[in-house]
Amino acid sequence: MKFLLQRLAQMVAVVLAVTFLCFAALNFLGDPLFNILGPIADENSGEEYAEVRAEARAEYNLDKPFPERYVRWVGGMVQGDFGRSFKNQTEVSTELSNRLPVTVFLMVYAQVLAVVIAVPWAVISAARAYRTVDKVSTVVSFGLLGIPVFALVVLLSYGIQLKWDPQWGDDSLFPGRYDDESLMSRLRSLAIPATALAIPLIAIYQRLLRTDLISTLQEDFIAVARAKGMSERHVLFRHALRPSLFSMLTVFGIQTGALIGGSIVVEQFFAIPGVGRALVEAIIRDDFPLVLGVVVVVSVIFVVVNFLVDLAYTFLDPRVKFDG
Amino acid sequence: MAETTAHDIAVEAPAEADTGQSVSSRLGLGFWLSVVWLIIVAGLALLAPWLPIADPNETAVGGRLEGPRSGLWFGSDATGRDVFSLTIWGARISLLVGFIAILVGFLVGGTLGILSGYFRGRFDSIVSFIFVTLLSFPALILAILITTLLGRTVFWVALSLGILAIAPVGRLARAQTLVFAERDFVTAARVLGASHRRIIVHELLPNVVIPMSALALLGMGIAVVAEGTLAFLGISVEDGLSWGKQIFLAASRRSELQDGPHAAFFPIGVVFLTVLSLNYAGDRLREVFDAKELVL
Repeated sequence: MKFLLQRLAQMVAVVLAVTFLCFAALNFLGDPLFNILGPIADENSGEEYAEVRAEARAEYNLDKPFPERYVRWVGGMVQGDFGRSFKNQTEVSTELSNRLPVTVFLMVYAQVLAVVIAVPWAVISAARAYRTVDKVSTVVSFGLLGIPVFALVVLLSYGIQLKWDPQWGDDSLFPGRYDDESLMSRLRSLAIPATALAIPLIAIYQRLLRTDLISTLQEDFIAVARAKGMSERHVLFRHALRPSLFSMLTVFGIQTGALIGGSIVVEQFFAIPGVGRALVEAIIRDDFPLVLGVVVVVSVIFVVVNFLVDLAYTFLDPRVKFDG
Repeated sequence: MAETTAHDIAVEAPAEADTGQSVSSRLGLGFWLSVVWLIIVAGLALLAPWLPIADPNETAVGGRLEGPRSGLWFGSDATGRDVFSLTIWGARISLLVGFIAILVGFLVGGTLGILSGYFRGRFDSIVSFIFVTLLSFPALILAILITTLLGRTVFWVALSLGILAIAPVGRLARAQTLVFAERDFVTAARVLGASHRRIIVHELLPNVVIPMSALALLGMGIAVVAEGTLAFLGISVEDGLSWGKQIFLAASRRSELQDGPHAAFFPIGVVFLTVLSLNYAGDRLREVFDAKELVL
């Protein structure tokens, strides 16, 4: 319990530090008033705009001292009020709640694909360790690690959308436009983007799980299981797999960060209306409240995922005690 | 120092390695192939202004999306620019950014890590908290934020990626320092009256930094990819084409990608081989130095 509380306190501290840094950077390195009003924000641009400037300052609390603005902003956020976009006057919270589900769906899709492919692949490799199948797998997965997501996106787009299906369009098996009418249409339209995100994950998971499995298979309890006459499949999947999942689980948390980065690229390239695309657009238009909103939400997700990963250790190995 | 290290490794090396072998032969053929590739790419990038290649900005060197032929090895892009020349000039930006980023990460992260591992106490808690905070930011988001705020020149992009490298490098340096600070030779130096400065520079630094050379290569691979990603999103270096921007421009219009995939595929191939070489060389070094804790 004590460990959990410590971890929670650390999580809150980290999120506060992250938001404070962003807020300070955007306020001191940028010029919020200019971003709201454009050129007329300049004090010398004419008396007739003085009133507009004063109004904008009051509306966005720019007339208040910096610490007060930060506290107000955090206070609002806790109540679900992320402020209003500088550019199109919509509530940032509305924007986020429209776009977040798309990104989360895409990320979960990619993770599921990665695990479903990487786990059996690693088991096959480990069962035939150092033989031809395994050697080829090792080379392939090492190669996959060298392809950046932005290159994968181009290769998949060319290979599937242009070569394999020359009539490619909105009616294809994998439609070109994001479509959230039904679960099926979402799965189909996000298949290529999710694959692009999943490939590096597959390589990482396969490599780690294979190594861990090979060392688990040397253990006495595996020899006992085999001696009892259990089938090799049963030994691999029921006995060896669970204790071998540790390293993979650890990077699962870390990789969520890479996945967030990758989903920005994928959303941008395939025009998927998720938070990643919102972030890039907001940055190009200097829309601070939206940028801050995305950063806060994304870093909270990241921190929470890593917290859950810590909790999952107990499930995998009951010997891990948080009080110890 | 190098001899001592080689000797230590040979003694402690796992059973598979022949103790009589030199470090260079145990690194294997793949390692040297990777190094050769990296030297070629870096050499071409450095010498780009003096090479007999077309000006990367000159259009109509070839036809629109013309395929590879002699004299136009990688073909030409949609405006007839020489893709080979673009790729070499792109390497200048991509590799320079990667190199500066890792340099910054090692200078700042390495220093902070060694100091906090050596002195411990309050300083250590503060530094460790900074590392945790930096690590709990999804890396690309942090890079995007910093580049947007500071500016889109080679220097600022490299610096923002360097800031990302601080925490991973620093954490490893700290962990290594914690291990070595307890060893007898450090205690001996302290008993002999060596100053903190002397212990850190002469006793700890060589032991901490040499195993981290593997991390430098792996980190540079990550930095090159990160710069490519930023460039692909249109938020990296503004003047000049790095690999990421080149690939994006060649692939952003589907019709152009369909007509002339080579304009995107050649730079992708070069990025792939470069990142692969950095990863492989780093991985081999890691195994030879037997530093298992070097997991990114």
